[in-house]
Formats: sequence, C-alpha cells, structure tokens
Amino acid sequence: MDISTLVAGILTLAIFTFLYRDNPIYKMAESLLIGVSIGYFLVITWTNSLMDLLFNPLFRDGRLALVIPLVLGLMMFGRFHKRTSALSRIPIAVLIGSGAGVAIPAMLGARTLAQMSATVSPLVTEGGGLNISSIVILLGVLCTLSYFYFSREHRGVLGQSAKAGTWFLMVFFGTTFGYTVMSRMSTFIGRVEFLLSDFLRLAN
Amino acid sequence: MKLESRHWTFFGLAVVVVIAMLSGFQPEITVSPDTLRMHEYIESLPEGSKLIISFDHEASSLPEIRPLAVALLRHAFSKNLRLIGIALLSEGTGVGYGLMQQVAAEYSKEYGVDYVYLGFKPQYIAAILSMGQSIPATFPEDYVGQPVDQLPLMTGVETYDDLAGVISVADGSLTTHWIEYGGGQYGVRVSAFGTAAMVTTYDPYLNSDQMYAMVGGLRGAAEYEKLIEIGGSGARGMLAQTCSHLYVILLIVIGNVLYFVSRRKGRSS
Repeated sequence: MDISTLVAGILTLAIFTFLYRDNPIYKMAESLLIGVSIGYFLVITWTNSLMDLLFNPLFRDGRLALVIPLVLGLMMFGRFHKRTSALSRIPIAVLIGSGAGVAIPAMLGARTLAQMSATVSPLVTEGGGLNISSIVILLGVLCTLSYFYFSREHRGVLGQSAKAGTWFLMVFFGTTFGYTVMSRMSTFIGRVEFLLSDFLRLAN
Repeated sequence: MKLESRHWTFFGLAVVVVIAMLSGFQPEITVSPDTLRMHEYIESLPEGSKLIISFDHEASSLPEIRPLAVALLRHAFSKNLRLIGIALLSEGTGVGYGLMQQVAAEYSKEYGVDYVYLGFKPQYIAAILSMGQSIPATFPEDYVGQPVDQLPLMTGVETYDDLAGVISVADGSLTTHWIEYGGGQYGVRVSAFGTAAMVTTYDPYLNSDQMYAMVGGLRGAAEYEKLIEIGGSGARGMLAQTCSHLYVILLIVIGNVLYFVSRRKGRSS
C-alpha cells in the first residue's frame, strides 16, 4: 500500500469518527483539510493568477497597461488601516460596476428571457395530442407566481392558484432534497468503495 | 460509550452499504434519455474534434465526480477527440490533471497532441468571458508551465468558435455560468456531468435548450458506463445506492408510524 492511500484511508476514518461525536481526531482531520485547502488555493492563485496574468506580463513582457489592475489591487489593502481605508472604495466600485454591467444582460437573457421563452411552448403536439409536459410547466409557473403575488389577499381563484403553487413548490423542494440525499449517499458509497478496495483490499 | 438512536441509524447505513459493496452484485440499469443524449452527442463528434473539459468542482465531491469524469474521458479518448482540460475552481485543478493523465495512459494518448491541461484560472466569470476573446491569452501557459503556443493541440485554437463545445464536470452552480456567459454570449455548446444535487438546478436549462446534455450523479455514471460498455465505480455503486435509498425510505416509514402511534396514544391519554 502506498503512503497516499494509507494517509487517505486514515483521514477518511478520522472524519467518520464525527458520526459518534465531536472529538480531537475529527478536529485534527478537519483542521488539516482546511489548512491544506487554503495552502493549495494560495499556491494555485499565486502561480496561475498573479504570476501568469500580472507579474510575468508586466515585468517580463513589459505590458505597462497592467499597472492599472496592479494599483487597483494594492488599493484594496488600504482597508487594513483607518487612514487609508477610503482608498479601497475605488477598486470595489470598479468591481461592482463592471460586475453588474457584465452580469445584468447575461442574467436577463439566460435566466429570464430564455426561461420565459421555454415556458411558452405549444400546448398541443404535432399529432394533435396534448403536450402534458408543457401544460404542467405552464400551470406550475402561473400557480407559483400567483403564490408570490402579495398585492391582493389570497382568496377565491387567486387563493386556489396560490395553494396549487405551494404544491408545485413542495414537489420541487422534495425532488431537490431527494437528489441531495442521493448525492450524499454517492459520496459515502465512494469513500466506502475506497476503504474496501484500496485501503483494506477486501473488494476488487 | 453511550449509543443514541442516531448512532444506530448511521451504523445501519454503514452495514447496508458495506454488505452491498462486498456482494459484488450489479443490478440491471436502464439508461435515461438525458444520458443517452450526452452519449449520442459525443458519438456524433468527428475524430479530432476539440472539446474543453472544465473541472468545476471541489475535492470533497471526488467520490461522486470521479466515476462521472472517468466515464466521460474514456468515451472521449476512445473516440479520438482532442481534450483541453481546465479548472475554474482551484481544488479541481489537481484532481482534473490526475484524472486526465490516468485515463490518457489507458488509451496511450500523448500529452500536447491528444490532450492538454491548462490548469486553473480564478474569477470564473472573467475567465469564461476572457476565453471567448482569446483562449491562449487567458491561458498563456499550461498547468506544468509550458507555453501554450508550443503545444500542437492548441494550434488553431483561438476562441470557442474553434471548439466543438464545453463539458463542465461540476458539483455546484458553475455550469450555469458556462451557460449564461459561454453559451449566452459566445454561443458555445455547453453540456454537463454533475453531481445529483445539481440536477434540479440544471434541469430548466436543459428544458430550454440552453444546455445541450446532462449526466447526473452516480446513477448517471452507471448509465454512461453501460453505454460505453466499460465497467466502473458507477455500476459498482448502484446496488449500494439502491439499498441505501431503501434503508432511508424504511426509516422514514418507521419514523412516521411511530409519530402517529405516539400522537394517538397522547390523545387517548
């Protein structure tokens, strides 16, 4: 057994000890995970981001325009002192402004217009039959929207529609939770498979 | 050592999963239309087509991501597709590189010619948008520090227009950014291999044709392994998955029965 499998197996078991209760062995494994993750992130960010995209092009290739992001980045450190903290507002404003400018049209297109377009699809198939999926989606959207309409009291038709909306929401939450349980089970099964085959060598 | 009911619940689940895994039995798997669509998509690509495989996940989801990624890479390499690996989450960087190297070795694929790994870029939205303008400018060097213009596979690869598509191997909502920015603004075809927890997030995009195809969770991996006729962790884990789900359902039923019985007793007393 190689050393990496041994370490991975012991750490997996250490994490599983939390199922009994919080304990120092679990804490050690958890702290190790956090420390390694942060260290890995710092190294990757330094090499793939700061070196590749800023320092090498600026100081090696002489791309002077990169002085602007370098200065903006340094201004962020102004937050560490009261007298210079106002400086950090400029790069934050640039970030928010450019971020919103990029995100708003993209979100509007992908999450609103394209989704609305997908909702408005033919309710009858080419063969003349009912398109059940489209009808369910249309009803689901209308009923759920009516549940979130708070300008009138939920009575009469609006009340019935809002109630149906809550059912659609419950079905969605149930499905999402079911998939989440499935996902967590898969993670557990993956670790058990590793323990049985690679670590303990009880299964192929 | 004081054992409570939750300990017995965990212990029961562990017993169920271990017995299912040790039995070695693999149940019959029915392939879903979504998985079939992804398989047909890869099958339809001509030899030599270039695909971006983006490892958009953290290390903690590796047990679920690994069978999905391995099945995808095996199929793509067996079809002689040219793969460009990247990572938009830092923890996926090493994992993605390791998986590509492992599967490439199975098919005797050569680095730089049949596949490359460009590594990680932070700020995923900026990275996706930047690649739409120039992939070599976004990734001037590959993961191991080799200049991208010296890699034969990258010859002629400038933007998304030079690629057959992007496949995001993801455990979170990063695929939606590929759809919104890569697909929405640059028209690149986006597909995903995702964890089961993300299926309901991706479904609306699949329904609206903003995402081309999706394979989800361990079950999706098992279905894909069946289609490419190569066994893997997905198929091996299906019995354990089924048994663990039955165990959870059983616990829910028992819990509800006990609840109603205790409520009835409370009323009568």
